[in-house]
Amino acid sequence: MRYDPPLQKTQGLWPLLLAVVALVAYPFVFEATYFRHVMILAFVFAIVATSWDFSLGFGGLFNFAHVALFAVGIYTYAILAKTLGVSPWLAILAGGFTSAFVALLISIPVLRLDGIYVILVTIAFSQLLYLIVISASSVTGGTSGMVTLPTLTINGYRLSGDGRIGYYFVGLGLLAANILFLYLVTRSRLGRATVALKDNKYYAIARGISEARTRALTLMASAVFTGLAGAFYAAYLRVASPDAFGMGFLTLLLSILLMGGAGTIWGPVIAAFGISVISEWLSGFGAWQNIVISVAIILVVVLYPGGLWAAIQEIREAVDNVRTGTLARLRRNRGRAEREALTGATERMIRTRFAEIAVADTGEAEKPALLFCHGNSACKEAFYKQFRSMSDTHRVIAFDLPGHGVSGNGDPETTYNVAAYAEIAEAVLADCGVDKVAVFGWSLGGYVALELAARGNVEVTALAIAGTPPLAVVPEDFGNGYNPDSHLVLAGKQYFSRQEARDYGNSATAPISADSAFMHRNLPRTDGRARVYMMTKISIIDWPRQMRMLAEGRIPFAILNGSDDPFLNHGYIARLNYGSIWRGAPQDIMGGRHAPFFNKPDAFDLAFYAFLRDAESGSDATFRPSRMAATA
Amino acid sequence: MLDVRDLSGGYEPVQIFQHVDLQVSAAESIGIFGPNGHGKTTLLRTLSGLIDPWQGDIFFDGERMNREGRRGSRKWRNFNYDAVTRRRMDPKKVARAGLIHVQQGNLLFPELTVTETLSIAVSAASGRRGWSVAEVQQLFPRVAERRDHKIRFLSGGERQMVSIAAGLIAAPRMLILDEPTLGLSPKIRQELCGAILEIRKTGLPIILIDQDVAFLEQIIDTLYLFDHGRISGRMSRDEMPDHETLMVMLFGERH
Amino acid sequence: MDPITLISIIKGGLILGALYALMATGLSLVWTTLGIFNFAHGAFIALGAYVAWQFSSADALGWPMLPAVLLTCAVMFLVGVILHFLLVKPFERRSDVVLIAVITTLAGSTILENGLLLIWGPRSKQIEPLTRGEVDLAGLHLTTAEILLLVLVLAILLGIGMFLRYSRPGRSMRAVSQNREAAQLLGLDVPKLYAIAFGLSALTAGLAGIFLGTIRFMHPAMGSEPLMKALVVVIFGGVARFSSPIYAAFIIGLLEAFSTYIFGVYWAPAVLFVTMIVVLLVKPEGLFGKYQRTL
Repeated sequence: MRYDPPLQKTQGLWPLLLAVVALVAYPFVFEATYFRHVMILAFVFAIVATSWDFSLGFGGLFNFAHVALFAVGIYTYAILAKTLGVSPWLAILAGGFTSAFVALLISIPVLRLDGIYVILVTIAFSQLLYLIVISASSVTGGTSGMVTLPTLTINGYRLSGDGRIGYYFVGLGLLAANILFLYLVTRSRLGRATVALKDNKYYAIARGISEARTRALTLMASAVFTGLAGAFYAAYLRVASPDAFGMGFLTLLLSILLMGGAGTIWGPVIAAFGISVISEWLSGFGAWQNIVISVAIILVVVLYPGGLWAAIQEIREAVDNVRTGTLARLRRNRGRAEREALTGATERMIRTRFAEIAVADTGEAEKPALLFCHGNSACKEAFYKQFRSMSDTHRVIAFDLPGHGVSGNGDPETTYNVAAYAEIAEAVLADCGVDKVAVFGWSLGGYVALELAARGNVEVTALAIAGTPPLAVVPEDFGNGYNPDSHLVLAGKQYFSRQEARDYGNSATAPISADSAFMHRNLPRTDGRARVYMMTKISIIDWPRQMRMLAEGRIPFAILNGSDDPFLNHGYIARLNYGSIWRGAPQDIMGGRHAPFFNKPDAFDLAFYAFLRDAESGSDATFRPSRMAATA
Repeated sequence: MLDVRDLSGGYEPVQIFQHVDLQVSAAESIGIFGPNGHGKTTLLRTLSGLIDPWQGDIFFDGERMNREGRRGSRKWRNFNYDAVTRRRMDPKKVARAGLIHVQQGNLLFPELTVTETLSIAVSAASGRRGWSVAEVQQLFPRVAERRDHKIRFLSGGERQMVSIAAGLIAAPRMLILDEPTLGLSPKIRQELCGAILEIRKTGLPIILIDQDVAFLEQIIDTLYLFDHGRISGRMSRDEMPDHETLMVMLFGERH
Repeated sequence: MDPITLISIIKGGLILGALYALMATGLSLVWTTLGIFNFAHGAFIALGAYVAWQFSSADALGWPMLPAVLLTCAVMFLVGVILHFLLVKPFERRSDVVLIAVITTLAGSTILENGLLLIWGPRSKQIEPLTRGEVDLAGLHLTTAEILLLVLVLAILLGIGMFLRYSRPGRSMRAVSQNREAAQLLGLDVPKLYAIAFGLSALTAGLAGIFLGTIRFMHPAMGSEPLMKALVVVIFGGVARFSSPIYAAFIIGLLEAFSTYIFGVYWAPAVLFVTMIVVLLVKPEGLFGKYQRTL
């Protein structure tokens, strides 16, 4: 299950456009050459670090000769443009080519090696290149290097003129091209093969990925822009010095890569700007510059290995938690009358061990109680049609799951899982003074209903689910019970862009209409962590207990799926073993989708009422073992 | 003797088992039976201190093996808490208290000889009274025969015997055996089962994990069923049903 | 090539080999036990040389050689233990410990080298040779310092070898290096053994630094070039056995001496690296052994 929307559909688009505008405006705001100089260096470092990240972070290939690839670009430019008199622009292009070629050479000894040996051999290779450069002094100038390299010109205009504005924009363009290149490569077949080899080498090889070819291509892809950046760097500074091979430069780039966050494109880009500025600022302090940078590297790597990017994600999560929590608190009072008008029930807040929970209850304790459990990223008002149609005969109760609707957010570790939800359902029933209840669960709420019944702390007189394939073996049955081609992958995604929220809302509940608009408005309130943790905590639920309960068949049980539910694998649900199920098999609501009670309320109510009646009368004719159970 | 209270744990950030309560008295041997991949080995690794428990306590012979309190909150997901928090368990302390864990498919020290390996166990016991080298060689004649071979050249069964032998020398007061007979040929298996029965007869309590119910019946007094990261049942030796019934108890009809 | 030249090349090669053997042994001690590669080893070499200079030089404390060397050893052991706690221990349970250790030890090496620069300044220094005598052996000119170096290095290596083979902590270290968990479950004190291994490695680096400081000029980055050679040695020979890097060190030493004679000072190291890469292509586990970390 992969979900990889194009960039313009993700939430990254606006920050990116903003950054581009800021970078284009920068040289016109800061006209001093020094400010532009620092930025040009940052562009170069960002290119080299992100390219390195493709082989190291994405590919897990610890190529410590990457800095040498940069130096190859530098010397290619120096030799071609100065000694051989080739056009500087061609020499820059050639830098990319020679660098990729050297990367191919490096890949040869690395092909058969793993882990630390790759590091050692690439370091040795880089030393070898260094030794060749300082030994072949007639060509490279040896330890003193080469100076007064040709500068870049366009139609005779020197890019270094006007406070280096020409270099600034060429550097910016190069960085943009590099990011675009990496963005496309990471999404290409090569990129997927690269990551697959890192994550599970033998599986990837078994699936027909050639390790040797992928490694060579990965290294070459990471070398192209590194070489171009090296050549550009040489053209900009107009010197080629063997210092580029040195530990100082390696440490600087490594710090950009790690503090930015390995395995991401944007982290190192952001870090490159920060660290270039800091490093330039520290350069006046001699030996202390390297000491400070090194201490910072150690602190980051030891204490916060994810780097800047991980910190940004964590801050984003904290901000989102505040946003959703505040939204819930605001809506608790503001929209309350509207919500109560919709359901005809009174809403109140109750305290539970996990979070504050909003409960809608029609009261009237003399009627039989009926509890509705809503699904992922929905709210209790999803059942407003049932509140209206069934409250004449039943006491209808529904509650917002924690992190949903107007309930509060909870501690993600303990709160956002089905077992906790079931415990909350028990607390809600206890607060209503109900000890016998019929339960309907929808989607995620279906698991809550199953778990509530399986726990057995509350007497469940009837149990119905919709959009919920019961799971026997997790996580295997997760793949069997659902249709992975749908928008289901979004169910576990932390942040929704507008487009994604609309997609998920359309599939999970109903397309936007005057009728369903409130559900779509409610969806962005959902605590994204509830979606993520629900998925990661899936293994701590006692699924077999639910299956045992269904196999025993003591509780009157019905499945009322929408016939057109886009998420479900109906065949899987029909094949399970039910000791006693209403009408002997899962029942389809014709034309119903994932929320049949919402988009086909009349048909659903009809079936649900019939089920409740049969459950009450306990007629054996309507509750039969499923075909599977009958043959077993 | 071993008193495990409300133990939960796993590999950060994935919780594997939860709320495990286990009391084993000094004269008792217990078995743990359950499907693969449900956290038995993770539980044992927590008991012996290889990984830290998240919650709960482990007492061995009245002495607390873990540091008190719960696992600290891990609010910042990407922060390396290991760098700033002390470990909650020390495997050395557990082993020296006498709770010795013989791992599943233990590869031991491939480049050391059998004799060297046993001498390591002697130095690990550091003066506490365990079995002597002569005693374990008597128990496992095969080990005695192969004493000058490197572990790397031993068969799986021989390696398992050396593992148990080393465990016995390291002064155990309770022995944890994790699937000792897994993947062995019937002949070697029989030999090993016999030796384990001998060990049991000396009165050393054993925690045995095995898939073979008949073998478990010979060794243990109490059987615990373990699935989905929790203890789901407890029965005495006399109540133990056959393998098929156990599997049905764990999984229902469809398994 | 006349016999005298040949013999003096061999002599040079053996002395280089002895130095490389000492460094490579220290490297492989940490590598095999902790499973990480210590890039601060070169900085340890420089630190050892500077500390010994501080104790022994007439410009500094001016102590006699023997106590100066012994105290340097103690200081280096301690430095190794401390750096182990700072640079390796905090993340030794992470799955990506190998990469992280590369980075922290690289950074640690930068800190040490720049620290040396701040404390002792950029001016070159030299440690007084241990002895000042000369011997003529069948036309071969040897200084007693050179003989002493060869003898001492071999004695030190023999001592470490015996320690690992016969002593209780040494044997336990080998056990830990081969299977950390099994050793823990038997009750061995693994953190202590790790600290000892790191300390011992730093100690050998310090000794190498002292030898190096007597025959070359000292500067803060003096360890980086020998570290690269030791790296070549370790890859070239593999670390299957304690002795593998030692044989490899002498082969590399001789190879360097000969290629310096044939190709000149500049190209000789390139020859070594090419040789190493070729060996890796043919036999990735190293010349002498299995592809695994053991002592």
